[in-house]
Formats: sequence, C-alpha cells, structure tokens
Amino acid sequence: MNFLRRIPRQHLIAGIVLLLLVLYPVVNPWQPYPQGVMLIAFLLAIQASSWNIISGYAGYISLGHSMFLGLGSYTAAIIALHTGVNPLWVAPLGGVTAVVIAIVFGSVVLRTRGHAFVIITIALLLSAQIVATNWDGLTNGSDGITLELPFWSADFQNIPFYYAFLILLVLTVLFSAWIARTKFGTGLIAIREDEGKAASIGVNTTVFKILAYAASSFFIGAAGGVYAYYQTFLNPVGAFAILGSVLIVLSALLGGRGSLYGPVIGAFIVSLVNEAATVYGGSTQSRVLILGLILVAVVLFLPAGLLPTLQAAWRKRHPVETKYTDQTGALSHQTVAVVRERLPDAPVTPGPLLEVRGVSKRFGGLVAVDNADLTVERGSITALIGPNGSGKTTLFNLITGNMPVDSGTITFNGKRIEKLAPWTRGHLGLGRTFQVTRLFKDMTVLQNVVAPLPDGRLRTMFADAVSGHEAARARDLLGVVGLARFADQRAGELSYGQQKLVELAQVLMLSPELILLDEPAGGVNPSLLGRLTGVIRELNQAGVTFLVVEHNIPLVLDLCDPVHVFARGSCIASGPPQQIREDPVVLDAYLGDDWRPQDAHA
Amino acid sequence: MAQFVQALALGVLIGGIYALMASGLTLIFGVLRIVNIAQGAFLILVATFTWWLWRATGLDPILASVITAPLMFGLGWVLYRFVISRIRGQAASMSVLLTFGLALVIEGVLNIVTGNRFRSATPAYFEESFRLGDILLPKAQVYGFLAAVAVLGGLYLVLTRTWTGRAIRATSQNPSAAALVGIGATATAALAFALGSASAGVGGSILSVLYPFFPASHYDWISRLLGIVVLGGMGSLPGALCGALILGLAETLTATYGSLQWSTLVFYLVIMVVLLVRPQGLFGARLREDAA
Repeated sequence: MNFLRRIPRQHLIAGIVLLLLVLYPVVNPWQPYPQGVMLIAFLLAIQASSWNIISGYAGYISLGHSMFLGLGSYTAAIIALHTGVNPLWVAPLGGVTAVVIAIVFGSVVLRTRGHAFVIITIALLLSAQIVATNWDGLTNGSDGITLELPFWSADFQNIPFYYAFLILLVLTVLFSAWIARTKFGTGLIAIREDEGKAASIGVNTTVFKILAYAASSFFIGAAGGVYAYYQTFLNPVGAFAILGSVLIVLSALLGGRGSLYGPVIGAFIVSLVNEAATVYGGSTQSRVLILGLILVAVVLFLPAGLLPTLQAAWRKRHPVETKYTDQTGALSHQTVAVVRERLPDAPVTPGPLLEVRGVSKRFGGLVAVDNADLTVERGSITALIGPNGSGKTTLFNLITGNMPVDSGTITFNGKRIEKLAPWTRGHLGLGRTFQVTRLFKDMTVLQNVVAPLPDGRLRTMFADAVSGHEAARARDLLGVVGLARFADQRAGELSYGQQKLVELAQVLMLSPELILLDEPAGGVNPSLLGRLTGVIRELNQAGVTFLVVEHNIPLVLDLCDPVHVFARGSCIASGPPQQIREDPVVLDAYLGDDWRPQDAHA
Repeated sequence: MAQFVQALALGVLIGGIYALMASGLTLIFGVLRIVNIAQGAFLILVATFTWWLWRATGLDPILASVITAPLMFGLGWVLYRFVISRIRGQAASMSVLLTFGLALVIEGVLNIVTGNRFRSATPAYFEESFRLGDILLPKAQVYGFLAAVAVLGGLYLVLTRTWTGRAIRATSQNPSAAALVGIGATATAALAFALGSASAGVGGSILSVLYPFFPASHYDWISRLLGIVVLGGMGSLPGALCGALILGLAETLTATYGSLQWSTLVFYLVIMVVLLVRPQGLFGARLREDAA
C-alpha cells in the first residue's frame, strides 16, 4: 500500500469516488430515478470542467457555454436523421462542430483583451437559437427533431447513458489535468493574471486563448450528441437555453474556478439543488430566483469557491516547511551552461545587436519618444539614463512590442521587428523586466519561471511544466539567482527585491540574447543589489547583452559601458561612463550642477 | 425609394432609443470598469412596473419615466453601495458574474410576482402614426425618440457642465488621481451607477410601449445593448450613439428587405466584421497601460 501514499490526497479521493460511481449501477441496478439524477450531474460536471479551461484557467468568462451542448446535440441529431446512423456513434462529431465554431468566433473576438469576449458569448448563444429556429430545412425549425428510442433492451434502462457520461466526464477531467500540467496551461494562468506580461515572456496570447476556447468546447459538444439521444427530442429553445449556461457558471464558481476538481464538485452540488428546486420549489420560475441568489451569494461571500477555500484552510492548519536545499552552489559555474542552453554556440562577434532608427511615439499631444536613435552592441551592458518622463520606459515598450511604434524602424539581430507581436520578439531572443515587477502573484515561484516560451512551436507549448526538462531548467535558473528554496512559495509572498530576481530568472528562461532591464535597482536593498549586479556580470560573460534603464547613477557608471542619455524623447549624448559624467549637456539636462564626478564612488 | 427612406427614418428613431438604453451601460463601464449584465433586467423590471402603473392609473407609459427614472436612480445607488461595491478591487470577471446573478434574481422575482407571459403597454396613440409625405412615423416611436434625445441631452449636460459630471469623468479617466484631488471614489462610483440605472428607468418605460416583453426578455436586450457597446468601443459615449444607430438601421433595413427574424443576426454580423478590422471597436481608444 506504500505507493498509494505517494499519490496526492485529492487524486486518491477522486479515484475512490470514481470507483463508487462505477459500481453504483451494479450494486443498485433497479433505480432509474437516482441514476437519471446522477447522469445529469455527470453532464453538468463535463460542462463545468470544460468551461473551467477558458474561464477558470485563462480567466475569460463565457456566459454562453451551453451553446456547445446544443451544437453537439444538433450535429449528432441532424446526421442521424439524414444518414440513419445511431447518434451515439457520431457524438464525437458534435465535439468537432463545437471546436470549429469556437475557433472561428474565437479568432475574431479573442484578439483583444477584456470584455468583448463575454459579450459575444451571450450573443452567440442567442444567435444559435435564432439560427436553429429559422433554418427550417436543416433543423426542422421550432418543431424540433425527434430521434429513435435507444436500441438496447428496456431492461438496461439508462445504464448505458450513465456510463457514457461517466466516461466522458473522466476524459474531460483527465484532459483538463493534462492541460494544467503543460506550459500551455501555465501560459493560460499567466494570461489570467497579467496578459501584457504574459505576451512579453513569449506567450502567444491570441493563439493560447483561441486554443483554450476550443479545448473548452470539445467534450461539451461530444456530450451534446449523447444527450440528444438520451432525450430523443430536441428543439431550439431547449438546446440553446441560457439557464444551462447559468448552471455551468454556478457549478464552476461554487466548486472553485481554476481548480481541477472544484467544477466537478460544484456540478454535483448544483445538480442536486436544481433537482430539489424542481421537485419541491415548484416551477422553473422559482429556480431562476434560487440560482440567481446562490450566484450572488457565492460571488460576495465565497469568491474563491469551496475547494480552494477548504484547501487554504487545510494548509493553514498544516503548514508545509520551506525546504532549504541549496544556497551554496548558487552562482556557480553551472550558470553559463544553464543560460546558454538554447543559444547558438558561435562566439560573440562584435557588431550591433539592436538598432533603433528614427522611432517616434505620441500619446495625443505628448511626444513621448521623438525620432530616437539607439544602438546596442552585441556583448555590451548598455545603459539608458535620463530624467523622469524622458521616454525611456516608452522606448522599452516600443522595443519589446508592448506598444506599437508610430514611425521608425527597430532592427534586432539583422531582422526588422517593429511590426512583430511581443511574443515573437520574445522568441527571437528579446527579454525584458518591468519597472514595477509584474510576477504572476498567485502562481508559485517555479510556475512563474516555467511559464515563458522561448519559441512558438507546439512541442514547446505542450511540454510538461510540472516535471521533466522544463521544470528542471527553471529550478536551475532559480539556482542562478539564488532563490531555488522558494520554488514552491507563492510569488506574491516574496519580498520586492526577491521578486525582481525571480523576474530575471523568468526572462532567462527565454534564453534571450538581449535583456532589457527597467530600473533593476529600484527598491532593492544593497546586499540583494550586489547579488543582482553579480548575476548581470556573470550572464554578460556568458554572452548575454543588456540594455539597462536605471536612476542609480553610481551603479550605472560602475556596471555599464556605453551610456546613452535620453532627454525629451531622444538621445542627447552617448559614450563611455567617464565621458558622460563630465559632459556639460548631460549635467545640464539630468545630473544637475551639484553632481560632482567624485560622488560616483561615494 | 419611399420604402428605403421609411426604413431609414424608422432606423434613426429606434437607434435613438437604443442609444439611450446603451448610454447607461457604457457610462457604468467607463467609470467603474463593470460590465453591468443586469442592465437588461433593469429595463424589463421598469417596463413591467410602467405597464402596471399604466394599467392601474392610466398614466402615459412614456411620461411615467418621470417616476421610474428617480426610482431606478435610487435602486442603482442602493445596489452599488450595498452589493456591488463589496467586490471592488477583485478581478473584473467577478463583476460580470455578480451582475449576471442580479439579473437572474430580478428575472426570478418578476417571474414569481407577475407570471411568465408577454406584456405590452398600449396607450391610445399606440397604433397611430404621423404622416410626412409618403412616410409614416408611428407616434409611439416618435415620442420615445424625443424622450430619449431629451434624456441623452440632459445626461450630456450633467457630464460636461456640472461639478458632479466632471467628477465622474475625472474618475473614469484616472480614479487614483481623482481621489487625490478630493473626489471620493465610492461616492462618485455610486453616482455613476445610479445615473446609469436611471437611464434604464427612462429606457424601460419607453420599451414597455414599443416592444412586447416578458421576464426572460432581458437576455435579448442585454445582448443587443452589449453589442452596441462593443461595436462603438467599450466606455465611449459617442461610440454607443454610433453603435445604436447602426443597430437601429440594420434592424429596420433587414426587416424591410429581408425578414424580421434575421435582423438581430445581421447586427451581430456587423459586429464581427467591425471587430475583424478594428478589434477595439469603432471609437475604442487604446490608452497607454504602462503609466498606471
């Protein structure tokens, strides 16, 4: 029994519950009513668990997810009607229809951030109902479609449906668990927490969101085909009922959005409440009120959902000790190997790595970057200094693609990049940190570091993020910045300076050739700062080029060469640090008259 | 030709009324960053109340907005202060779920109190029209349009000419800076939500005459209003006006030259095409996100 102990407790419980559910019809075969209630609960659990992929993991709420059930039902029913095939055998095609519709509409709506998606999901559900009602030739209009009765003997009652839905439920949960383990899943959570940041670490947010929407539709569509056969009748109002979506949303939210088993648990509870409301509470009328009240109450008083709340309470009572594993060995020679893994072996050849030419950016009347030129030599640690509001951070955003340029060109490694998406620039070897750290605060430190995608290949996207090569590499990189012992801590719990180091490790996961550091020293205490500059020097030795924005002038003059000075949106001086600190133009524009060169070593 | 002009004129009238209904939604989104899914339920709630008032007292349904607007202002204020403000600072998706829950509660209450059937207020002028040459303009539509324009004009004046309006606009542009210059965030937010609800008060009263409704109609309405707001650009008032006109015209033109059933679909199709070309909507501005 030893191996059972090694299985995490929640999976063990889930396995036992599954075993009981499998045995139930065998033990208690002549009970059609409870079986019927259970199989409807399975169906709801399939939907809630699928919904969780787009709305729980990726955080994009869909209020029209029951549409996929209707699409699946209609697909299977129409094929059965026209070809005479049993709907059960073509049920997977219902899933295919759902995926196609999700991809088509997802590609239109999911290119932007924010709220357009939730709105379109409602509109899609209602549109589907309109189409099903009015496209008489295909759907039989509001009369609906009647299917044959099940082919098996009535003695078996609904037991085959019971097992069909149970199998689909197990597949859905396994699928969801697999997604959560991959870098794709980590990327979805990254999108939920901070979409702009996710894009800057190589996550192709558009493709991720569309794939998540498609992934969240397949099993619902397939289940829809089975459901049509179970009901033997479907019409537009029933198939595309918005109440179905309400049940899905409520289940996932109540059980715990974003957790693996939460939506399943929520679906069982909601199914039972729904059944009770139908039996004891009268008609649909009171059901809407009850569901609405529960939804409001859950949002207000249990926003995280049952399972995560219980888990948090459990963790509070049984705290896990932080494992102090390394410390010695941090910043060892391993650094070079770890960082260089994905870089070409060619020695660093001098020449420009990044060239900014004539770039401008306006915000309304304000010209933030004005016809700016900047060159970063390969292998250098280049500094960019200048007064607040001189356009340094905006220039960073233009280089990394967080904002589009108004005019001008940016060349990286001989390739024009000013029109490319932020993640493509990341894949080319451009990494950045932010002025105020933007870690994914609810993810663990390790997940934060695993999240970046160094390229856009599917293989990388679906690589295991929890164990295996990617996770090992992330641990190594945490070792490089000396924080490996915090790997399983929530990132938000770390101190600000430590978060800056984690963000650096995160960027290193991209194996970047050029790293843009936006005020790396801001808010970092002197001893951590020593570690940070040490890491930067070490990485630079390993062939990584740096562009640093920093107000800590002594640090800049010590660490960087050359130094570029920015004022009013363009470069006013460039040169080695000794020259810059005596340049009258720089003294006037930035350092001020009271700056004395000897202060540099104060 | 006359048929075309007739469709255009009707489209503009309906567009004006849609604009009023959508203005509250876009105002609430602009200031609070909340997508108020309950806005459709507000409309149906008010329409039902107006219908009841009209049956009980014979008060003209459109005039009843003089009563319903202040009532909805109060309801919106109370809802914000005691329910919605509790989730401030949480992820934006929570506000979607919360207002969705509120919409369900309103639908459920209406179901139980008034029963699940179609209603429509039919005052004396319900089937009369103004005649302009070959064009017939239904009186109800014209009165509704005039009321909508008056309220929209009033809303515009409040937002641009009063201290309160400036406070609301300031909060919508930068809540923390507004708080620094002495504009209480919660009070302003409550005010914006109340104003947005009040516009649903007028909109709902007009709706009771122009469209048959029943408790679950709010899904159709919220979906239309959200479409308008997405089309125009989230949070943009001129965008909402423009989106509303497009919806009005799409509906009347499809109904004239095609069939009524498909008119809503045509509008959604327009949205899809616009989103393909301009993902941020017609008037949606992409502001800088770095200077938070």
